[in-house]
Amino acid sequence: MNLLFRTHRSLLFVILGLLLLVVSAGLAQAKPATAVADTQVSPLHPTFPLLDDQGINVLESGRPISTMKTCGQCHDTAYIVEHNFHADLGLSDYQAHAGALDAGIGFGRWNPLTYRYLSQAGDSQFDLTTPEWLMRFGERVPGGGPATTARDGRPLTRLRPDPSNPETALVDPKTGKTTAWDWNKSGVMELNCFLCHLEQPDLQARAAEIRAGRFGWANTATLQTLGLVSQSDGSWTYNPDAFDESGVLKPEYVRLQDPTNANCAACHGAVHTDLQTPLVYTGVSLTDYQTATTGQIISPQKIMLSGMNIQGKNEMNYAFDIHAERALKCTDCHYSLNNPAQAQRLSQSNPAHLTYDPRRLEIGEYLLRPNHNFARGQSAQFNIAPELKGTMRRCDSCHNAATAHRDWLPYWERHMAVLDCESCHIPKMVAPAIQAYDWTVITLTGEPLVQYRGVQGDPNAIESLVTGFRPVLLQRTNVDGETSLTTYNLITAWYWVYEDKGNLRPVRLLDLQKVYLKNGHYAPDVVQAFDSNGDGILSEVELRLDSEAKVALVRSKLEALGLQNPRIEGQVMPFSINHNVVDGKAAVGECRACHNAESQVTAAMTLSTYLPGGVKPTFADYTNVVYDGNLVVTEDGALEYQPDNSKRGLYVFGHNRLAWLDGLGAFFFVGTLLGVFGHGTLRILAARRRPKQPIRTERVYMYHPYERFWHWLQMAAIVLLLFTGLIIHRPDIFGVFSFRGVVLVHNGIALILAINALLSIFWHLTSGEIRQYIPRPRGFIDDAIEQAKYYIRGIFKGEPHPFAKRPEKKLNPLQQVTYIGLLNVLLPLQGLTGILMWGVQKVPALANFLGGLPVLAPIHSLIAWLFAAFIVAHVYLTTTGVTPLESIRAMITGWEEVEVHEEHR
Amino acid sequence: MKKFKAYWVFGLLGILLILLVPILLATSQAAEAQTKRDPWAGVPTHPVHVSHADIIQGPFETPQDVTRNCLSCHPDAAKEVMATSHWTWTSQPFNVPWRDQPVTIGKYNQINNFCIGAMGNQKACTACHIGYGWQETDDFFGQAYDFTREENVDCLVCHAQSGYAKGSYGNPKQGVDLLAAARSVGLPSRQNCGSCHFNGGGGNNVKHGDLSQQLIYPSPEDDVHMGGANLLCTDCHVTENHQIKGRLVADNYVINPEEQVSCTQCHDPAPHDDQRLNEHTKAVACQTCHIPYMATEDPTKMVWDWSTAGQNLSDNHFFYLKIKGSFQYESNVRPVYLWFNGNLEYRYLLGDKIDPTKPTYINKPAGSIHDPQAKIFPFKVHRARQPYDTVYNYLLSPITAGPGGYWSEFNWDQAFRLAEQRTGLKYSGSYGFTETLMFWPTTHMVQPAENALQCADCHSENGRLDWEALGYPGDPMRWGGRQLP
Repeated sequence: MNLLFRTHRSLLFVILGLLLLVVSAGLAQAKPATAVADTQVSPLHPTFPLLDDQGINVLESGRPISTMKTCGQCHDTAYIVEHNFHADLGLSDYQAHAGALDAGIGFGRWNPLTYRYLSQAGDSQFDLTTPEWLMRFGERVPGGGPATTARDGRPLTRLRPDPSNPETALVDPKTGKTTAWDWNKSGVMELNCFLCHLEQPDLQARAAEIRAGRFGWANTATLQTLGLVSQSDGSWTYNPDAFDESGVLKPEYVRLQDPTNANCAACHGAVHTDLQTPLVYTGVSLTDYQTATTGQIISPQKIMLSGMNIQGKNEMNYAFDIHAERALKCTDCHYSLNNPAQAQRLSQSNPAHLTYDPRRLEIGEYLLRPNHNFARGQSAQFNIAPELKGTMRRCDSCHNAATAHRDWLPYWERHMAVLDCESCHIPKMVAPAIQAYDWTVITLTGEPLVQYRGVQGDPNAIESLVTGFRPVLLQRTNVDGETSLTTYNLITAWYWVYEDKGNLRPVRLLDLQKVYLKNGHYAPDVVQAFDSNGDGILSEVELRLDSEAKVALVRSKLEALGLQNPRIEGQVMPFSINHNVVDGKAAVGECRACHNAESQVTAAMTLSTYLPGGVKPTFADYTNVVYDGNLVVTEDGALEYQPDNSKRGLYVFGHNRLAWLDGLGAFFFVGTLLGVFGHGTLRILAARRRPKQPIRTERVYMYHPYERFWHWLQMAAIVLLLFTGLIIHRPDIFGVFSFRGVVLVHNGIALILAINALLSIFWHLTSGEIRQYIPRPRGFIDDAIEQAKYYIRGIFKGEPHPFAKRPEKKLNPLQQVTYIGLLNVLLPLQGLTGILMWGVQKVPALANFLGGLPVLAPIHSLIAWLFAAFIVAHVYLTTTGVTPLESIRAMITGWEEVEVHEEHR
Repeated sequence: MKKFKAYWVFGLLGILLILLVPILLATSQAAEAQTKRDPWAGVPTHPVHVSHADIIQGPFETPQDVTRNCLSCHPDAAKEVMATSHWTWTSQPFNVPWRDQPVTIGKYNQINNFCIGAMGNQKACTACHIGYGWQETDDFFGQAYDFTREENVDCLVCHAQSGYAKGSYGNPKQGVDLLAAARSVGLPSRQNCGSCHFNGGGGNNVKHGDLSQQLIYPSPEDDVHMGGANLLCTDCHVTENHQIKGRLVADNYVINPEEQVSCTQCHDPAPHDDQRLNEHTKAVACQTCHIPYMATEDPTKMVWDWSTAGQNLSDNHFFYLKIKGSFQYESNVRPVYLWFNGNLEYRYLLGDKIDPTKPTYINKPAGSIHDPQAKIFPFKVHRARQPYDTVYNYLLSPITAGPGGYWSEFNWDQAFRLAEQRTGLKYSGSYGFTETLMFWPTTHMVQPAENALQCADCHSENGRLDWEALGYPGDPMRWGGRQLP
């Protein structure tokens, strides 16, 4: 061990020395030579011999290359495999689950899309054994982990071939018979360094080895494109010309490099880096897992310049992914967790006063033990290495949301608190994605019925119109416990399950084929039950399990196969969409996209056009997503997911409102309007019938200039606030106004109203005018009744007002009580709710304490209705003066003709 | 009563003021984003041209009659034209470090690496001179042509809108109806300018690569200005008193920026919404990103090998002509990128010594990463193999189109001997062919914005900029931009 370490050290010195040499040479030369880069990708990487698993040069042994031994000459490969969730793939979390299906992604979890179930020890019949799992999915398995290690942690090669052990058995798909598998014969698949560290690994040759079960040669085959190895008659031979006399690779064959986007794409999805070639992506294949499940395509190309048949693409003058366009690589965000250039985790534990900790790994230490656990996000679908969730750079690690939004986005802090950046910056996916997988039936080729979203017609056909789709917004519980809305695709899968010794298992594809097929055609009884038009052919629509009779037939046939309690289950699975980000110009920037009757915040997503077996699916329970909406079967039988803001605790202005409360408010308003109208009509009729009586009047100076100023400013402000508030409440009706402008005006006017109110309080207090509003303590009720009687009777008879209007006593008892209510209750309450709503971004805790926007906003709306009703009554009552317009004139000029009362009360 | 009214009107005004100010502030904030300069403000308005159909009365015997007729109403026009390089075919004098005397540069006295030299070849070449009857004489530099004769100014080539074409010695082609042409005069159209400038080098788009006949009726994809906005040449090449703005760097040495056309005549110097892109304008010329390819339709000549001329092979405009040798044409040409400050570092002057073992620069754009005025700029590079004197080691300017020239006799030796009498440049009697390079700035055929280069066109493994060659240690996205003092 000590010796090994010393070797590492000396090698490191050599590397560092070389590095120094090259750097100083580069500095000394004015024009550094560029030719080297063309012939050798990694000029700093030393040459090395290729070793087999015994540490013997493969030129001698002719055996497969061992990456662990070969790369392990300098790098700590054991460390790299141990710190590598791509290698582990969830093996270390593997548990034999007894009861339920353990859905999710990772070794031993059941993925309803790939369907095949990794059988557990003790299962009475095997679906997928470990060897077949590797053959089937190994193309997307980098090696190590379950490709070398058994579920109990022993090397696979130590397992005794045993047909009753799902780790060492293989099921013949034709006969269903189980045979033993010898891992020593097939070899195992060590972690394949070349897969990610070569520009052009030979993926096809590797895949061929894997599919054939020759796992031991898979890594060696990856080097075929380099010209290091070649295959003839099924066996691999090394090219002696690639090595020097001492058996070491010649420098021109050392073409190791940092992983590129294309390397990541090999397993994860569609990546396109060549700007010159128009991007054409067709087909929704699980080999492009990320793209198939979410529609994400990583390309710097502008959508309008792509070769895809995308609806409206001429308007899409922006790249598929802004980060790809700006030349970021996958590894810029998903970096190695001990990469000294990134080293984010160190700084997270810094003392408060320290903004930067310069102590880092030396580059040599890093190259010895590069952590191959990569920074990762918080996606819903990938549950491997959950302890590393949120280690990645998030948008705000690089972008300053404040500088980008505060200049134009009202309430930007509130928006940022509720929405993840993706909500607006991933407005649309422009590739088809899976919508639903119906495994309750199978096609003749053993595939499920698949529905796609974002495409009209066959997604594999280049001429199909890609309509794209808008991601649905779901609330995500972040690692810090906060929730925010983020973008998702929802995929729903239906499938048959049965009980095996009380354990839930998906019905094996083998058994489904037995049920549905016979000699490569649908079984006669299936055709009889399913073929509704009698043409002898089952169309996709006929194939659906849409009647109890069909379900019963399949169930009985499954039972006949000995399966216990077979039944249909369904599952809705969220798939995070975090790529395909667009810049501000292409992002959702129009307020009314969300603040409107139709709101993107609550935009529904179709899950399926039908319900297989009539079964409503459940939501996947292994994710960090809050299902804040409802599953609704629409009239045409489709299944839809409808987000619900009330479940989210959200209130989106212009979208949300309480119908009953608006009804109540409207009732007050209309009631007042009708009352005023009736009263006024009666007054006019009464006045007509009544002979004109001369009234003794006198002219008095009723209103102080400040009073008038205060009154009219308040009037104008309130009218404007009601008007702008109404637009904010119902932007769908008042579409001509800019929502953003109206919000800003509303807030500005509210501030003026508040200042006006405070100044007037000051004036009323200091001038003593406040007394006008304070009712006489005694006899007030009687006075009020008398005033009310006047409005009910006296006014129609032309009687004088019961209380004279005088500068020192302008208000009658009813006015006094009304204004107390208005100015001391409603106005402050309206101001307070308004301020709290405004403050929801500054001090969210306070607003949330009072119930947040869902409580505050409806109160604000109700009071607005009351204000509107008051204005109607108020304006009407001003007409009860000596002449209808006298009171209004008085409020303008200050002078008013008032009745002369004999006695002043 | 009047007093009261005055009072409340003030109150009303006060209230309105208090309420309207914040409303206006809020709405003006929304409109604030639109502060970029409007490019249309820089485009000159075209005056309505008076129809001359009824004004001009013939008859015209000679083209000079036409000019005299024009001058009767526009007395200064000929003087103005004669002050321009369209007339003199040469530049102002420059002091260059490799010559003791000031030199002028132009077709009048220098050579290029296309048809090489106009001296002694006036018969063909002066078809694009803005005058009539410039013929060879026995004197050097064709001095006998009287450059002061106003009636020799050709008004029609720029102003006639129909029925006019020039032929030998700059005279109207046979059969031109001078009266009809004169009556059609108007403001110069793209076709007027293009009749010479689209055909430089002996054919459509041969010389520039960014000036071709596709610009007569262009689509926006041909040229966003002329096709998309229907601009005329003179909208950018603003003309006053027949002095046309814009200088070709190939025929100049130092160009006063005042005399040069620039994008910022109309466009904001920081025209992008994207700060990152605006940052690029410090080191990258507009043309670099906005003209990703030249010769987008009609191909342009990239290589011309004079040494293969004179053989009886099958003639083809794009591959081989007996009189000219063999060619390579290309379309959708990706330009070559160099630091460029608008001037030349070197211009080959007749008689300059060359090293025949190396390519000779006919012109070499000036600028480097250390030059604050320089930006990365796109060029067409035209390579040629053209004749030189193997004894004196300088490039030769043969008589080709002229009497007894190569195009009729196919005798190089005779072509050089005849030329000696015209150019004064001694010919030793032995000649060879050497490689030359000529740089043509790519500045027309600007593409619609969506076709502009994107980040990865340059900032990627196989990007189109060779960072090291430009003087950067590596891609400035990672290594940082240039540091200017």
